[in-house]
Amino acid sequence: MVKVYSITTCPWCEKVKKYLKSKNVEFEEHNIELSEEDREECYKISGDLIVPVTTVNGKDFVVSFDKAKLDALLGL
Amino acid sequence: MGVYDFTVKTSQGKEKSLADYKGKVLIIVNTASKCGFTPQFKGLQDLYMKYKGQGLEILGFPCNQFAEQDPEGNSAIEQFCRFNYGVTFQIFEKGDVRGETAQPLFKFLTKEKGFEGFDKKHPIAGKLEEVLKANFPEYLEGDGIKWNFTKFLVDKEGNVVKRFEPTTAPEDMEKDIEALL
Repeated sequence: MVKVYSITTCPWCEKVKKYLKSKNVEFEEHNIELSEEDREECYKISGDLIVPVTTVNGKDFVVSFDKAKLDALLGL
Repeated sequence: MGVYDFTVKTSQGKEKSLADYKGKVLIIVNTASKCGFTPQFKGLQDLYMKYKGQGLEILGFPCNQFAEQDPEGNSAIEQFCRFNYGVTFQIFEKGDVRGETAQPLFKFLTKEKGFEGFDKKHPIAGKLEEVLKANFPEYLEGDGIKWNFTKFLVDKEGNVVKRFEPTTAPEDMEKDIEALL
């Protein structure tokens, strides 16, 4: 399952989500402001607390809204 | 009219009179935006940890006025947001800091200390001017707040002593703070 780590009022997170929707990619959103567990998970993945982080398997990830990298990660 | 005449609301919605800070050196700053390209939360928190024992308080006022632009295609701006944790200085209710809708406190502060230009030596100064020219050319005029993390230093008697633009990093304010403590 594709996961998107986000925070509230984050335009870049919105853009990633919109982009994934436009490509019919199903994803789970994890707001790291609301869950400590998600926060720890997000930190584990990228080593920092910046969002959006998009991951397919919890290992490979893309930080920020970067279409080219997202396409590569998701095989679009 | 002075800083101590203002009452503001904490992020928990409680009224707080700035007179409660009499005798403290204050940094009043429009924090805003975990996105943007000038995050100074960490630097401010470092200042707070270093000087709070000597009487420094930092009052952060979140504001979305600069974050709501659509920065798509503007490569000057990093395309991510940062989750700020560990900030222990006081954060107040979100509100406007410039223009007609600005909170009275910020109207007062910008009247006391006007805009004297960015510090051109700072690495973001050029970018900031570029972004402002492209998105908010009117922001460059007058004394209003130009961008997130404009810092006002207030002495123990409530006088607004100095204004630091976003192009001054918090750590570069240390001398001025020490002079007032």
